Amino acid sequence: MKRLLRMTHPIHLVVGPTLWGLWFVAIYAGLSVACSVSPPAPEQGTLTGINVAVGLATLATTVLLLGLSWAGVTAARRAELRRDCYFAFTSAGIHLFSAGATLFIGYPVVFLPPCI
Amino acid sequence: MSDTKDATLPPGIRRLHEGMARVWANPSGLGALTVVNHTSVGLRFMVTGAVFFLIGGLLAMLIRTQLAFPGNAFMSHETYNQVFSMHGTVMMFLFAIPILEGVAIYMIPKMIGARDLVCPRLSAFGYFCYLFGGIILTSSLVLEMAPSSGWFMYTPLSSGEYSPGLGSDFWLLGITFVEISALSAGVELVVSILRTRTEGMALHKMPLFAWYILAMALMIVVGFPPLILGSVLLELERAAGMPFFDVAGGGDPVLWAHLFWLFGHPEVYIIFLPGAGIVSTLLPVFARRPIVGYGWVVAAIVIMGFISFGLWVHHMFTLGIPQLALAFFSAASMLVAIPTGIQIFVWLATLWLGRPVMSLPMLWIVGFLVIFVLGGLTGVMLALVPFNWQVHDTHFVVAHMHYVLVGGMLFPLLAGLYYWLPLVSGRMPSERLGKWSFWLIFLGFNVTFLVMHWTGLLGMRRRVFTYDSAMGWDIYNLISSVGGFMMSAGVALLILDITLHFRFGRKAPQNPWNAGTLEWAMPKPPTPYNFVSLPRLETRHPLWDDPELPRTIAAGKHGLNTIEHGRRETWGSDALTGKLREVVHLPTNSWWPFFAALALAVVCICLLVKLYPLAGVATLVAVVFLLRWSWENGAHPKAAPDATVAPGQPPLHSRTMNGPGVWTMSVSHLANGSLYLSLLFGWFYLWTVAPEWQMPETSPLSLPLLAGAGLALTLGTAWLAKLVRRLRGHSDSGLGGGMYLVAGLGALQSALLGLVIWRAELAPSETAHDATLLVALAYVLIHALLGALLCLLQGLRVGYGFVGAEAPLEPVVVLRLWYYNLIVYWSLFVAVWVMPTLLGGAS
Repeated sequence: MKRLLRMTHPIHLVVGPTLWGLWFVAIYAGLSVACSVSPPAPEQGTLTGINVAVGLATLATTVLLLGLSWAGVTAARRAELRRDCYFAFTSAGIHLFSAGATLFIGYPVVFLPPCI
Repeated sequence: MSDTKDATLPPGIRRLHEGMARVWANPSGLGALTVVNHTSVGLRFMVTGAVFFLIGGLLAMLIRTQLAFPGNAFMSHETYNQVFSMHGTVMMFLFAIPILEGVAIYMIPKMIGARDLVCPRLSAFGYFCYLFGGIILTSSLVLEMAPSSGWFMYTPLSSGEYSPGLGSDFWLLGITFVEISALSAGVELVVSILRTRTEGMALHKMPLFAWYILAMALMIVVGFPPLILGSVLLELERAAGMPFFDVAGGGDPVLWAHLFWLFGHPEVYIIFLPGAGIVSTLLPVFARRPIVGYGWVVAAIVIMGFISFGLWVHHMFTLGIPQLALAFFSAASMLVAIPTGIQIFVWLATLWLGRPVMSLPMLWIVGFLVIFVLGGLTGVMLALVPFNWQVHDTHFVVAHMHYVLVGGMLFPLLAGLYYWLPLVSGRMPSERLGKWSFWLIFLGFNVTFLVMHWTGLLGMRRRVFTYDSAMGWDIYNLISSVGGFMMSAGVALLILDITLHFRFGRKAPQNPWNAGTLEWAMPKPPTPYNFVSLPRLETRHPLWDDPELPRTIAAGKHGLNTIEHGRRETWGSDALTGKLREVVHLPTNSWWPFFAALALAVVCICLLVKLYPLAGVATLVAVVFLLRWSWENGAHPKAAPDATVAPGQPPLHSRTMNGPGVWTMSVSHLANGSLYLSLLFGWFYLWTVAPEWQMPETSPLSLPLLAGAGLALTLGTAWLAKLVRRLRGHSDSGLGGGMYLVAGLGALQSALLGLVIWRAELAPSETAHDATLLVALAYVLIHALLGALLCLLQGLRVGYGFVGAEAPLEPVVVLRLWYYNLIVYWSLFVAVWVMPTLLGGAS
């Protein structure tokens, strides 16, 4: 188990996109359910609880993924084996992409109301 | 005779080759149905896929003939609906996926230095499911009962009310049957790539093609189950009136669209990834340098594999989804261009920095680059919601789809065909005929589909069967039809070229393209055992670094170079480092895959013609065949006639606690879990979205019985885990009795679940709530029965001496199923009992 937690393990190739996937499912499902159960009034615009929740989830996920990316870079610099360096750097790149993807997909909460 | 097996081989080595040939021999005549070898099965997949491609192509020509002129009466609209539905269905389900699986099944062991895939009988079973399913599906055309609701079978158009007759049933049952084949190949390829690479081939030294196939196979494993579930539910609706997609009964037709595209969008990438894998394999060979940015490509593959699952709703932009959700999917759809772009720039950089040679396979790669980039650009356009609304369901989308799929899959496939043809036949293809064929197909394709963008922008809907001259579409359709026939002429020339080359082709040298990957180190055509000895590899380009490898492999100078034991075997290695862990002994030729697939075909036909009792009997027969197949495993004398290994070699996999079987079971549960999660999604989706959904005030399910069943399952799992822990400590005392006890607990769980269903008095044909509940309970009941049955068999196998302290693998595999059952059962309990009870009975 400890081996899996090291940033040099190839499991981290899929950790970033998995976190992205969980966030994506959570915000889409959350939005759908929230709009079905208690849709806010259209005149409220973007300042709704739903948008705030989605925005916060987006920011938290982005920060987490950026942190993981940085941890990957650090681990790659410290790695002694070429294999470890390779996996840590590649994972760091994928984490960085996942962070960017999270922010890019989530930012429309700033200008779009949730349930219209 | 191969170029590496010559008469000058020393007698000892020649005896080794002869021994290998005897143990790995493929029977002929009727016995050919028992063949399980990946080379034969892969070729069968490819040839069958090519036949379906010709059928799909013929249907395409019928479509283009009908659309060539305004007011054309070449076909009736009923026939046209069947023809275009079957064109899409055949091309997507019977050609694109299976032929790529065939390529992967054929190539992967050769590229990773293995003698076969890890579950050869599963490959053979998958092939027969594909063949029988394909025959059943295409027979509907001959019977004039083909599906006519389009290849994505949208409800309610495909439901009983608007599609009476057997058309939709042919599609639903046939496709589900064919999907078994895709899942078999998916599971098999994942485990084989991760666990049977030759010694030293660490994950980061694996050929890029294997990375692409690994991603494709994992995507199949996760992506196909939603469609299987959707097909089962729709068939249940049509056959038994269970209203999953019927609004009046509490269902929702949009659920079908979700389930279909949850599969359908990843499928585009499942088709593209192997194509891109072929490009990444061939391009460095013809650029005469290693690929630039191996790590970038791996990252792009992983990203693409995940992101492509987040795009499914972009097929549903016009279904009335809130703008914010549309924005999420629009953004995700644009993002997928980044990993695609990374790969394109890597390929261009490789060409730029190399010394490219323009031979025939390279010509197809260049064609791919042009067409696929154009398709990608229109893809980004379609990701924009307003533009998507504008061209939705027009020929613009049809043109885009063909640019992406034909460009992204067919062109690389043909590049790969020409590239690997010398390996299959030992002969070189004709450059002249090949170039004629390329230009006819390339130009014909562009003439057909580039023009179709204009037709679409002028408003021609994708399914119109004829049109009025006043629409202004005449000339565009005529040009498209001429292009279509031009492309067909190119395909005819291609077939002629390939057929002639087997007879007249120039004999191929050992490594005709000067490639660096391992498949060119083997005899041509390949022997059933691939490599007589398995080399240790530390490089991504073994043949570039050691051109002597073909000779030393054939001379038996590497690993696993004995055959006296009479086993088929290959290395089992560590997934990460490629360090040797086991000798994997593989099953030999067997009738069971054929019999099991045949029994399932009978089930399929009986369901089609509504002979339900007979379908039940055939299902039981299929289960018996499958269990009988599983009996010849592990320490069974047919599986490993001699359990000794040479000094210094690792143990046989069935004598370990973590053989590939554990991985196979775990990867299978990814597929199973995807199906289960799709079912849970359906439950919550209908609960929260369907306008007529009715949740009863109190749950119809008995809490004591449900809890009792869960308790039996939990106790059984704990007991089985204890038995496995003892096995880890080399103790098998009480193993047989323990297995019977666990089987008993599984039987108790099944009985209690049966009582739950019986006492619930559900009305599944009246409400979607009861129908979904029944399917969910049936799902856990089937798993409970399977858990009990496998433990019963384990008990018997302990008695026969096939399982014990010396051969402890199987209980570990069965324990994985029990863990899965445990998670599924209690999560379902929360979803169907706890949550409805806590949240109240309101809809």
